[in-house]
Amino acid sequence: MARANTEQQQPATGTTLIVLVGLAIAFLLFMAFLNVVKSGNILNETNLLFATLIFYSGAGALYLGFGVTGTESYVKFASLATWLGLLANTAAVAHRWYEAGHAPFSSVYEMLLSFVWTLAVLTLVAEKKYGVKVIGTVTMPVAIVGVVLMQLLRTEVHPLVPALQSTWLHVHVTLAMLAYAACALSFALAMMFLLKDNLKTETVLAVTSASTLAIYASVVLTRFEKWGGLSLVAWDPERKAEVFLARGVRLFVTIPDLGWLMTLTLLVVASPLVFYGLARWKNNESYLTVANRAVFLSILLQVMALAMFLVRAGDGRYPSLDAEGLFPTSLAASPFILSGLVGGVFISLLYLLLVWRRPDLERLLPSTDDLDRLTYKTICLAFPLLTLMIASGAYWANQTWGSYWSWDPKETWAAITWLVYALYLHMRITRGWRGRRAAYFAIAGFAVVMFTFFGVTYLLPGLHAYA
Amino acid sequence: MAVNLGALAHKTWRTIASIQTGVVLLILVVILSAAGTIVLQRPATDPDEMQTAYSPHALQMLDALGLTDVFHAWWFLGLMLLVSICIVAASIDRFPNSWRFFSRPYKYPDESFRRASHPQKLLAIADEETGLVAAERALHSLGFKPERVVREDHFGIFAERHRISEMAVYIVHASLLLIFFGTIVDGIWGWRGFLNLNEGQTTNVVELRDGATRTLPFALRCDQAGQENYKDGTPKKWWSKLVVVEGGRDVLRKEIVVNDPLLYNGVRFYQSSYGQNGKVDKLMLTATPSSGSGERKEFGLAVNDTVSLDADTTVRFAEFFPDYAVRDGQVYRKSNELENPAVHLIVTSKAAAAKTRGTKAAGATTASRDFDVWFPPLDEVADNSKAPWQFQATDLKMQHFTGLQVSHEPGQWAVWSGVVLLGVGLAFVFYVVHMRFWAVPVCDRKTGKCLLWIGGSANRNRDAFEQKFNDLVALVGEELKTIPKTAPGEQVTAVVEH
Repeated sequence: MARANTEQQQPATGTTLIVLVGLAIAFLLFMAFLNVVKSGNILNETNLLFATLIFYSGAGALYLGFGVTGTESYVKFASLATWLGLLANTAAVAHRWYEAGHAPFSSVYEMLLSFVWTLAVLTLVAEKKYGVKVIGTVTMPVAIVGVVLMQLLRTEVHPLVPALQSTWLHVHVTLAMLAYAACALSFALAMMFLLKDNLKTETVLAVTSASTLAIYASVVLTRFEKWGGLSLVAWDPERKAEVFLARGVRLFVTIPDLGWLMTLTLLVVASPLVFYGLARWKNNESYLTVANRAVFLSILLQVMALAMFLVRAGDGRYPSLDAEGLFPTSLAASPFILSGLVGGVFISLLYLLLVWRRPDLERLLPSTDDLDRLTYKTICLAFPLLTLMIASGAYWANQTWGSYWSWDPKETWAAITWLVYALYLHMRITRGWRGRRAAYFAIAGFAVVMFTFFGVTYLLPGLHAYA
Repeated sequence: MAVNLGALAHKTWRTIASIQTGVVLLILVVILSAAGTIVLQRPATDPDEMQTAYSPHALQMLDALGLTDVFHAWWFLGLMLLVSICIVAASIDRFPNSWRFFSRPYKYPDESFRRASHPQKLLAIADEETGLVAAERALHSLGFKPERVVREDHFGIFAERHRISEMAVYIVHASLLLIFFGTIVDGIWGWRGFLNLNEGQTTNVVELRDGATRTLPFALRCDQAGQENYKDGTPKKWWSKLVVVEGGRDVLRKEIVVNDPLLYNGVRFYQSSYGQNGKVDKLMLTATPSSGSGERKEFGLAVNDTVSLDADTTVRFAEFFPDYAVRDGQVYRKSNELENPAVHLIVTSKAAAAKTRGTKAAGATTASRDFDVWFPPLDEVADNSKAPWQFQATDLKMQHFTGLQVSHEPGQWAVWSGVVLLGVGLAFVFYVVHMRFWAVPVCDRKTGKCLLWIGGSANRNRDAFEQKFNDLVALVGEELKTIPKTAPGEQVTAVVEH
């Protein structure tokens, strides 16, 4: 029924986007091919990753197009592009494995490679097996960000230090990747549930604004320097590494004026939240219209901030407060700021998509009951995987360090993740939590997963220095 | 009063066994362990680092609250104990019900159950026996073992699969308790320490984490240890050949590497590091007489070793500096890292003494002269060129030690069996579904028309189950077509009598 409706309301506007995306992919592949001919080396990892990126981007565009227009034929081409991207991704993984002589799990770069691969596989599974076609709208952009991040990280094959030479490492990390990908899927499903469940658009507005605010606030609060500069880690382009003044003390350079731009963006991304607050306080809907315009403005500013960041951090030499002279920096030196900025633009765009196309989006989603059940099912998949991941990690630690549990931050956060999902399951099974509350819980669970994966590695000290 | 006490006890029990208590406790565990990862923890962090990170006042407060060692604080252990009690209480509270369900399966659905049950289906049948046979055959072909339920005034078919799934959650809880038990045993009777052994050294003393030592009832000797590197110089492998010595005899030999420990008497020795201790094993030298006539000599010296070069010349390895500095004509040890080594040899020569003193001294035979030979030849202190022998240092062999972690974890078997049990339990909880099917023929006494009521239930994954149920109904429908009509009454009475 829903399908029939969609087709009636959306007469054949479909081919344009497919043709455009197809042309873009062909063009990029052609450019890549020229490069390959010049260098004479087809099957290297950079090319494979580039192909992966092209196909995933094409798939992402088509999934988004499907989200916006609801044209069924987009999905076919989107999955085709995902399949091709997955093929290139698989080749990249295999190449890496062959080069390194061990499964690609030993550095953040290799982990991302495997994570993106798992995500693409799960997307195709969710689409084919469960008919959740829109899932690519969320997962493909995540995959794209992953591949882009990979381009920035150190890619050399590092030999495995003795502690990592164990089959248990592979078991442990494979399980972790599978579990985290399943958690990511449950997160996407929970978000879709909320949409389908008539979550108010203005609530999404508030959340979007709050998240972008959090991104810019953390950038400005930690990196704003005197006279409006923005301090970034200095980068040694030859060694492809961060510059250290002393053990554990990084050298920071200050890019002038960029701090002001970030502060301005901070104020603008905060404004939708302010107008939302006003609308709730004064009970006046007209503020929401203003808030939506503010979101639009904030996207413009965010894009500008991102562009300036890309241009200035990518090139040039800057002074430092701690040392004499000028030093270069690089996008690779600040992967988290970069992904924060990209992520901010991305979620704001998703919000705009929601504002414009909410009825179409809702029509494309399975029923709330189905989404609720699917979220639960993915968590039923993720939880045993998390358990096994922790168990195999403990066994490996016992083999290596002589203790199966030492309360190191990564371990502790893995246990916290496990507990959060255990709480979800208890609330659902014994207290009958369904619907919204369960969806919020699933989202919170994924936030904890993200912190365990990234936050612990970069913010807290510990044994898991390699990953 | 007694009644009140009973009520109070009951109320307490209800509180402890309630899911709310469990949830609150788990949230507390989450918050406190998160705090334990954010606040720097002793003893993993250096005291100095703690002091630079926090102001004295804040540090004092954190210490007093136990927040600098959350995971060993009494309140954290108490909390874990409460969680365990809560799990036990909740399990005990819910167990009888589940056990009743488990031990006495509900085989014949009564009328009110039939009315409320979902999914269910009614099929028209010719008579009771036909319906029963069709249901039996259909269930057989789906791989079930149907059972005829015969009571005094009614009968039906019952089939089920994976009843154990109802008990799975207790398996999970029991396994968690087993893991807790193992960690408690380890916490009380277990210990961890480390042991650095030089090649050839034997010891039975382990240094524990808190600085105390522990004497083992046996000794450990390291025969050889080494490191293999990748091409880029990062370590690839560390190995040590260890021997357990007990009562003066070698009782066990094993070459251990990282990830492959030695186990003896419940004590495990793990390879954890390998390195130099800043001491010289041997300095390899070649010496040629300064006069040019005479043999070239090659030999190795350990610190304080003396070697005679000829009848009246000896050389002694006097000092070794792993990282030297020279100030005011004096050589200092700057650090113990092997950064910038210097070697001090003392060459003692009677002949040289005789030469310088000429014929003057009568007691010259016993006198001798010392030359300080340095590598590198340090201008301020060295008289390398004046010495009667010229030396060349060909190699500096450093002493190596192997770093071993030592642990005794008597409770780990409980932990591992708990983990395995947990995996099994979770597999049952999530993926093993208790399915039940009932088939009851219902005949209207007045009209004589018969219907077969088919019902089913599953404890999880209900949408997949519904599919299965529909398959079953379709199968029963097909079977009904193939069964020839039996004479009414006959068979049924037979069954009832049976």
